[in-house]
Amino acid sequence: MLTTFLSHQWKSFWRSRNKAGSVAAQIVLGFFMLYFLVVALLIGFGMSVFIEKIFPGLDPKVVFRGVILYYFLLDLAIRIQMQELPTLSIVPYLHLKISRKTIVNFLNLKSIFSFFNLLPWFIFFPFILITLGPSEGFLAALAYLLSILGLTFFNHFLVLYIKRQSINNIAFFAAGVALVLALAGLDYYGLISIRSFSNLVFQAVSVYPYISLIFVAAAFAIFKLNSAYLMANLYTEELSTKDDKKVSTDYPFLNNFGRVGELAALELKLILRHKRSRSSVIMGFLFLCYGFFFYRMPLINNNEFGKMLFAAVFMTGITVSVYGQFMYAWQSSHFDGLLSNKINYKDFIKAKFLLFTISSTLITILSSFYGFMSYKLLLLHLAAYIYNLGVGTVVVLYFANFNYKRLDITTSASFNWQGVGATQWLLGLPLLLLPMLIYVPFGILNLPYWGLATIAFLGLVGLVMRNFWVNVIVKKFEKQRYKIAEGFRE
Amino acid sequence: MIAIKNLVKGYGGRTVVDIESLTIRAGETIGLVGNNGAGKTTFFRMLLDLIRPDSGEILSKDINVASSSQWKDYTASYLDEGFLIDYLTPEEYFTFIGSLHGLSVAHVSDYLRQYEEFFNGEILSRGKYIRDFSKGNQNKVGIAAALMQKPELLILDEPFANLDPTTQIRLKSLVKNLSTTQRLTTFISSHDLNHVTDVCNRIILLEKGKVIKDFYTDENSLKELEAYFSE
Repeated sequence: MLTTFLSHQWKSFWRSRNKAGSVAAQIVLGFFMLYFLVVALLIGFGMSVFIEKIFPGLDPKVVFRGVILYYFLLDLAIRIQMQELPTLSIVPYLHLKISRKTIVNFLNLKSIFSFFNLLPWFIFFPFILITLGPSEGFLAALAYLLSILGLTFFNHFLVLYIKRQSINNIAFFAAGVALVLALAGLDYYGLISIRSFSNLVFQAVSVYPYISLIFVAAAFAIFKLNSAYLMANLYTEELSTKDDKKVSTDYPFLNNFGRVGELAALELKLILRHKRSRSSVIMGFLFLCYGFFFYRMPLINNNEFGKMLFAAVFMTGITVSVYGQFMYAWQSSHFDGLLSNKINYKDFIKAKFLLFTISSTLITILSSFYGFMSYKLLLLHLAAYIYNLGVGTVVVLYFANFNYKRLDITTSASFNWQGVGATQWLLGLPLLLLPMLIYVPFGILNLPYWGLATIAFLGLVGLVMRNFWVNVIVKKFEKQRYKIAEGFRE
Repeated sequence: MIAIKNLVKGYGGRTVVDIESLTIRAGETIGLVGNNGAGKTTFFRMLLDLIRPDSGEILSKDINVASSSQWKDYTASYLDEGFLIDYLTPEEYFTFIGSLHGLSVAHVSDYLRQYEEFFNGEILSRGKYIRDFSKGNQNKVGIAAALMQKPELLILDEPFANLDPTTQIRLKSLVKNLSTTQRLTTFISSHDLNHVTDVCNRIILLEKGKVIKDFYTDENSLKELEAYFSE
């Protein structure tokens, strides 16, 4: 049965309409993974050398023990953002003679083949086998290996659990992020020391190897929790059966924009009335915290905007990159209706620009609380904002014309995992990196404000020429609309 | 009204629609019949410029539908749920469609009043989004929205499917009325030969994309069709 599922998955990947896009994405991802694997291998074998270089005079074993929990905290933070949920559109299988257990097992089994589960092997195992094994004995080394594996799978299934829960309740995601942030923050300000805690724990493991079984048990427990949750939620009609009365709404503000405003209002309702898109919006607000990672007083004082530009562009343009990259697929379920109705394509495109403009403006205003750190950040955000509006929106909407993949936002949210993972970010990356690229020469020449001005200028050019770009996009759209409509009908 | 010339569309080497020439005059009610895969829906989609034909053209009032969207001014259609914006309430949807044709909110609600019987009290002010309605009721919303546009050309794909018997009868009389009072040209596809021969004054029978029969209905039409399909 499991192999049948695998072959169906394989077919659905290769036979999908967006094959070229997903293959390209996989190849790029593959290169990234290869790179990280090589780096991990280097770290693994060079561990003792590195430790002596960075912490001269300290016992390598003590440093190593201290690093373990650090690594897994970082691992957790990265996984929350990047790890993909295993997807299998299970609807066609549910009514067949296939036990729920098989389906759940498949979902779990498939998830294990994740890149993140491979990294610890390369990073930790060489040191354990080469250095720890000979000096502390076979049993201790085995205990270390078990602990590492236990922690790896604990993180793995914990993240899956958080992500699954957060589809229905975004609070879980927030709690997960908050937990990681809190631990990191407490450690950063010296209130707790993860390093000494980790050292303590693994010293105990060295002495009493059976302690490592605790990690294994924890991993097993969270695995069971995950399976139980999946088992209980394997229904397609999970979606709220709450009988609250739906009312018709009107957005008077958008009425000022005529036909374009009407279309924008339509899309606003789409966003607010679907769980999937609503979560994206809330996620956008959560990402407003990104600045705290990137903005540091030394960087601000030295006007090193290049290092902070990524966060600025990311935050102010979050709606453009998150909502924009699935454009027009959000409307795939009624795309035929939009095409056959009396809707001017130009208005259609302009409505999207309007929506982007409003949302980016709102987010940028919200993000101005960073101004308390320094007024310079406000300038940074302004430049990023103008860039996003002038360049980002145009690029995103132009490439939307090449997206033929249907997006089902109406089916039960519990199993709607399309685009919740690394591939999602891959597409937005060039857009985020371009301003940094532009800034580099100015950074080298030590002309930080000129760099910002250039980025803003580029955005302004885009804004001034917006009508031109609208026409370009509309032309492309007219050509592509049959293909898009066909893809969305699937 | 509509002129079709050498229209061909194929998928994967198989021809789905192949119509050499077909002319539709204003005011005709055309019933499109044929078994599954005969090309009815594909034909409708090309008529609405949702699919690009491999060759040939469809002229609506002498203008190619693929080159200009003028036809949208006088054409209304409902093929499937893909035409509904399902996260809106029916009222919002009607208002939106109305606004595309310059109808104010008051106009729309005024217009909807005459469909109260058709809706049978199940559509308006129910506090539900369109996606939460049953298929039959979704059909009603789509058909009513199409009729509201006061079209000269109406295209309905299997409108009787999923409708309850009462509504089927009401829809039939509605279409019949409109074609006489407003000279409405209508395309209806259906698998129900009774309905088609009842409503339509011209029947086009498709098989594997080709027009096999094309005739004006009389009292023998039903028998003729039944004979064809039972072969």
